[in-house]
Amino acid sequence: MITALTVAVDAASITLVLALAAFGLAIIFGLIGVINLGHGAMLTLGAYFTWATTAAGVPFMLAVMIAALGVGLIGLALEHLVIRHFYDQPFETLLLTWGFFLISTEVIKIVFGTDFRNVTNPLPLAFSLGPIELPAYRTAVAGFSLALIGGTAFILYRTALGIKIRALIQNREMASLLGLDIARTYKLVFATGALIAGLAGALISPMLSVDPYIGNIYLVRSFFVVTVGGLGELLGGTLIGAFFIGGAETIIALASSQAFAQTIVFALAIVVLRFRPQGVLGAR
Amino acid sequence: MRVTGDIGVGERRRSHRPLRRRLLDGEALAAVVVFLLLAGLPAVISGYPIYILPQYMLFGMLALSLALLWGFLGMVSFGQAAFFALGAYTMGIAMQQMAAPVNMAYVGLLGSMLLGGALGGVIGYFLFSAGVRGSYFVIVTLALSIITEQIAVSQSQLTGGWNGMFIDRMSLTFGPLGEVSLFPDAPMYYVVLVVVAATFALLKWLSHSPLGKILIGIRENEDRMVALGVRTPLYKTGAFALSGAIACLAGAFYGTHANFVAPSLAGVLFSTEVVVWVAIGGRSSLLGALLGGILVASLSNYLSAVIPRYWQLALGILFVLVIVYLRGGIAGAIGNLMARRRD
Repeated sequence: MITALTVAVDAASITLVLALAAFGLAIIFGLIGVINLGHGAMLTLGAYFTWATTAAGVPFMLAVMIAALGVGLIGLALEHLVIRHFYDQPFETLLLTWGFFLISTEVIKIVFGTDFRNVTNPLPLAFSLGPIELPAYRTAVAGFSLALIGGTAFILYRTALGIKIRALIQNREMASLLGLDIARTYKLVFATGALIAGLAGALISPMLSVDPYIGNIYLVRSFFVVTVGGLGELLGGTLIGAFFIGGAETIIALASSQAFAQTIVFALAIVVLRFRPQGVLGAR
Repeated sequence: MRVTGDIGVGERRRSHRPLRRRLLDGEALAAVVVFLLLAGLPAVISGYPIYILPQYMLFGMLALSLALLWGFLGMVSFGQAAFFALGAYTMGIAMQQMAAPVNMAYVGLLGSMLLGGALGGVIGYFLFSAGVRGSYFVIVTLALSIITEQIAVSQSQLTGGWNGMFIDRMSLTFGPLGEVSLFPDAPMYYVVLVVVAATFALLKWLSHSPLGKILIGIRENEDRMVALGVRTPLYKTGAFALSGAIACLAGAFYGTHANFVAPSLAGVLFSTEVVVWVAIGGRSSLLGALLGGILVASLSNYLSAVIPRYWQLALGILFVLVIVYLRGGIAGAIGNLMARRRD
């Protein structure tokens, strides 16, 4: 019983952390249709910025904010310099964001080196909830992820900005005719997606060893989270997709190795993509 | 569009010409020159370049397998390295069977080609019959690389895991007529050259065949091809299977040439390197892709030793610049230049 409960709690926290990692991608992919293959690099950048600032003595929370803002600014620059000229050519944006990954990874290697870096866990303790031991930091990040998704839901469905963004997804021309500044909204969405990717990378950094390629595995996972959940279903889709990918991986890993679990889950995700390209939640 | 090197563009205008003229267009002529130069090279130089060049030619062949998808069908695969590594592992496993009555190298080569074709066919049909297109296809192929790399790592009793696998050089046996050992570099060089040239010729022929025209039609407007009654999933599956077979065969030769295969050969980084070669060389030119593979890979090898920290960065920047300013890659730019001079 207690093991089952532990597994459930573990799966829930892994789901929420993965949802956080995928959320920046979901925003850019779901709202403006750009396949951001630079998403993994943005996570990595967020992690390195956090490592560099905490190593310089900046308190962790502040370091996370600096990292998120830094990656958001890089996203803004990327959008302004390159991406905005290619919105009508999704395939080229895919290649260009991959180019961003290549360049960013090399710059990281030159600036920060290729060694494994460790960010000190700001909440190293565990606390117990009844019979279950919970790692404090992971739980806090999981809670934050839930709050972030909830907050985004609030912005999208309860504010004027949310109405504008939803109008944009529904009918770009019509929204533009009604006076919505398309270029600015796209820029805002792209930069926000980058900022959230940087934030996710910053928050994940204490949970693993940081190297220039940590974003890679998250890139493909995040894509499956988004596509399995359903493209139009930004919030619920991200959660369901993260549950499918993260939860299944945790459960399969119980019976075998981590690598094997990942292989199985990727293969399953391809099958889901084939039979329900609109995602588990999407309407046919 | 006036890109001369472009696969299939301007075919209608040319199709009434005699076959000999049609097959010897500018790109084919240039390719003949390139292959003749490569054939003459061992007479002039020897040593390391002759050892290493076959490796780059095989990278060029891998680039060709991607150009078949990208140039003809407009589909990019981020998983070509998975096939390449599969070919190398197949070759390695086949050649470990010592006490076989036949030359296991042949079994390895044939087997890798069949396996690559079958895998491409199965995965292709599975995806294309449901209409998986464009970006989704890219994500799936990206996952394919990761899955292959992880299988290569985890099935260590078969693949050697992280340590990789040693693969011996092969011999060409001709039954009672004797054999040619490919242990020395020169015979290996020529065998690889012939295989790569034959692959190029096959794809070049394909680009002029009715089949190639259908593939180009799918690239230009898939919905229209469907409306014309073409079963596009079958053609796309066929192209992906052929591409897989080519990449696998290239990988099998690579394995026996390099004597070694490790899981990273299947990885995402190597897979996307292939995309970079083809983008820089010319996404819609077979010769551009081939030379992109050969030249960028050899430059990479040279410059990684000279300026290790900055070369990959420069390559990334070059990749972005090509996508932004030079859509057709270097081959496309040369094609445009020649078209302008003719006007």
